[in-house]
Amino acid sequence: MAYIKVENLTYYYPEAEKPALDNVNLQLNRGEFVLVLGRSGCGKSTLVRAIAGLLPDFYGGKLGGSIYLDNQEIRTIKREVLVQKVGMVFQDPESQLIMSNVEQELVLGMENLGLSVGLMQRRLMEVGAALVLHPYLQDDVTELSGGLKQKVVLASILAMQPEILILDEPTSQLDPVAGEEILTIVRRLNEEQGMTVILIEQRLERCFHLADRILLMEQGRIVQNQTDAGAFVQWATKEKSPFLPPIPKLFAGSSCARIPLTVKEGRQLLEKSSPHTFQNSSYNLSETCNTGDTNDSGKTRNALDTCDTCDPCDLLLQVKNVGYIYENGVEALKGNNLKLYKGDFLVLMGENAAGKTTLLKNIRGLLHPTTGTVHFLGQEIREKSVEEWAGEIGYLSQNPNDYLFLPTVRDEIVFTLKNLQLPQEEETSVDILLEKLGLHGLAQSYARDLSSGERQRVALASILAADPQLIILDEPTRGLDYDMKAQLGEILQKLQQEGRAILLVTHDVEFAAEYAAEIALMTQGTIIARGNKEEILSDSIFYTPQVAKLFQNLIDEPVITLAQGKLMLMKKIFQNSL
Amino acid sequence: MGIKTKERHRQSEEEKMRHRLQPATVLLYLTVVVFLSLFFTHPFYLLALFLAVAIVIFSFDLIREWSSYLKIGLCFLVVIMFVNVFLVREGATVLFLSPAIPGLGRIRITFEALCYGAGMGLRLLVIISAFCLFMYVVHPDGIIRLLGGRSYKIALALGLSLRLFPLMRADFLRIMQVQQCRGVNFHGQGWRERTVKTIPVIKVLLLSSLERAFQLAESLQARGYGLGKRTSFMRNRWRIGDKLIVVAICLVLCLSMWLVMRGQTEFHYYPRLQSVGSGDFFGAVFLGIFLMIPAFLNWGWKKWPTLRSRI
Repeated sequence: MAYIKVENLTYYYPEAEKPALDNVNLQLNRGEFVLVLGRSGCGKSTLVRAIAGLLPDFYGGKLGGSIYLDNQEIRTIKREVLVQKVGMVFQDPESQLIMSNVEQELVLGMENLGLSVGLMQRRLMEVGAALVLHPYLQDDVTELSGGLKQKVVLASILAMQPEILILDEPTSQLDPVAGEEILTIVRRLNEEQGMTVILIEQRLERCFHLADRILLMEQGRIVQNQTDAGAFVQWATKEKSPFLPPIPKLFAGSSCARIPLTVKEGRQLLEKSSPHTFQNSSYNLSETCNTGDTNDSGKTRNALDTCDTCDPCDLLLQVKNVGYIYENGVEALKGNNLKLYKGDFLVLMGENAAGKTTLLKNIRGLLHPTTGTVHFLGQEIREKSVEEWAGEIGYLSQNPNDYLFLPTVRDEIVFTLKNLQLPQEEETSVDILLEKLGLHGLAQSYARDLSSGERQRVALASILAADPQLIILDEPTRGLDYDMKAQLGEILQKLQQEGRAILLVTHDVEFAAEYAAEIALMTQGTIIARGNKEEILSDSIFYTPQVAKLFQNLIDEPVITLAQGKLMLMKKIFQNSL
Repeated sequence: MGIKTKERHRQSEEEKMRHRLQPATVLLYLTVVVFLSLFFTHPFYLLALFLAVAIVIFSFDLIREWSSYLKIGLCFLVVIMFVNVFLVREGATVLFLSPAIPGLGRIRITFEALCYGAGMGLRLLVIISAFCLFMYVVHPDGIIRLLGGRSYKIALALGLSLRLFPLMRADFLRIMQVQQCRGVNFHGQGWRERTVKTIPVIKVLLLSSLERAFQLAESLQARGYGLGKRTSFMRNRWRIGDKLIVVAICLVLCLSMWLVMRGQTEFHYYPRLQSVGSGDFFGAVFLGIFLMIPAFLNWGWKKWPTLRSRI
């Protein structure tokens, strides 16, 4: 008997003409780990909100069909029972924290349920110990890192002892290490407590292998409902679906009898591979070798950030010994040196609060270094105002919504042109830009109504309108699905090929591996390493893509992109066949 | 924020006594201070209240935070003195007498009016300093816990507002920066143009705040808010430090009543400043010392580790 049963579920948001959920039917078993996949706006979040009982009570709109939890129709379950059955963790921890103090946040749900102080104390002790939150109980939540904030939210839900835990992209705002920690906790809850978990996640490499069931949604419908990950991989490969993590994607075309889901399985397969492991390989040599997505700027640098092969005339940005201390005395940056030339594509990585955003703001002139200098095209940044640099340096901050307020996408681009008093032959330049960023069909749309990836591109278009030579992007891949990330990566590579320099901060190792030319690692306010992506990413523990983990120590050459991985896999197949 | 620095900051925050005080204790203390400042007119007693609060702020390491409040308070003090001096023509000691000005007559500035303005300004400084202490010592969650029960909704709204206000301020600054990066110049033009350019920033801010409010509401809903009767998790016990402060407040109230009955807390500025005696001085000193008890406890707490487990 299904534990969660969804029957003919259809839902319309208020004033919407198209349904967000279109006749969804689903049965989930108790204790299952369910992974929900799909593009932005496909109805994933709406479905889990319906299961959490937030529809239509909280959102309004029209709901048809039924949801049964443990054979009881959800609308007949009292709310105090429902909130103890289903716990939900949302995407952004900042927008879920109600109280200012960690302990008070943890007990909030229990207080709402009217539990006794003794019981609250016991559960507080348990969740505090399980999630290692005891040292922070008396802390101010605003002082915590993103990972800790999300742990606090998760703990506050767990303190209510739900039977079903729903997580809507819980790691999208976190760095790789913090993201792994959250998913490890979720996996433990599922495996050790038997808790039913429904997880929406875009970074599949972190959770695909954990799933007992994979659901893929499109336009409000469930198009795949698989309990066999291998079968899902086969289907996704056949349909060219982007919803595959790197390892299965890499092996999918190899006609391998068994598709590995994890790095461990992949490595075992490679180590044990015999001529019979890969049969009738469908790998196409020319296709694999001609992927052309290895982004190498062809420049060689040493540890002191001097470039031996760079033309000094191409130098755009020079950061010399930059340190920065905030007004509250916190030293966010110390002794940073960095040079960027035309055509550079550098990704800056590091833990949360390492000082990455502060460095970007110092480079853009939004903050002025406490020590050291920042020069752009030989001129010190502080000599001109922020707005005067807009034509030379583009800056895309973490939240694209900060840019968008005008009635149409076209207006957003024209706004920048007008501010900078650039020639107003808008019809051509704006159209070219819209075309370049794949926004032509959306020119007359209201930007805030678009999907997250589209909003990101509109915000990017609004800064590219100024035709900057250096483009700075802070966490542009947050919340983007595979397709959107690929589109963004390709756009950035085109801009790089046009000779613009790109400086990008991200926690997304897979994105960095595929599209960047170089990687710099930052910790505790200082850039501690910089080099080409193969050099940095193939030699790391956590800041390394899955493909690199697969081949680490098995071969001498660095392999970090899917294309390189395919080539290497093909060589392996070829060797084994001999 | 560097992790080590943040960790140190976190540890030092943990070690402060002000975080151990019950919100009720702090609220009682501040209510008494504000009430007395409104009741007293004698500048000695107002000065005693001001110095007592200032020393408590100093001992709680809040001087940097207080300075911004003080700047505003001093501006108000100057305005009050200015307005009082020009509007009130009472007082016998004339400092300045202008020639007749059409419509205004002769402006008469007296020493007494100046002192009265300073006295009222001092009262305002006491209230502003007490508000500063409230903002940095009483945790918003503490107010929610304190009110609990039926007032919970009001307290939650208050607590959320206190928490979200700095977030909105940060949003505003961030959106301004983003628009500057798109070439918007907020400086150097007339106020009309600056206002026009700020409208998009406010528009984005309102849209973002609305979205955040919606997400917070959804999070509250998912955690069973509004189910009915709720309980309150009161972990902090009343410590000796709280009790000593409450005793000090009681002593202050008793002393104040005695002083009021003797008419010592009143002061007549007009027509001439009344004379002050040593009784006024000693009364103010005792009142101030009792009100400085939180500062003495804090210094003791810092100096003698054995006191930490007791206070």
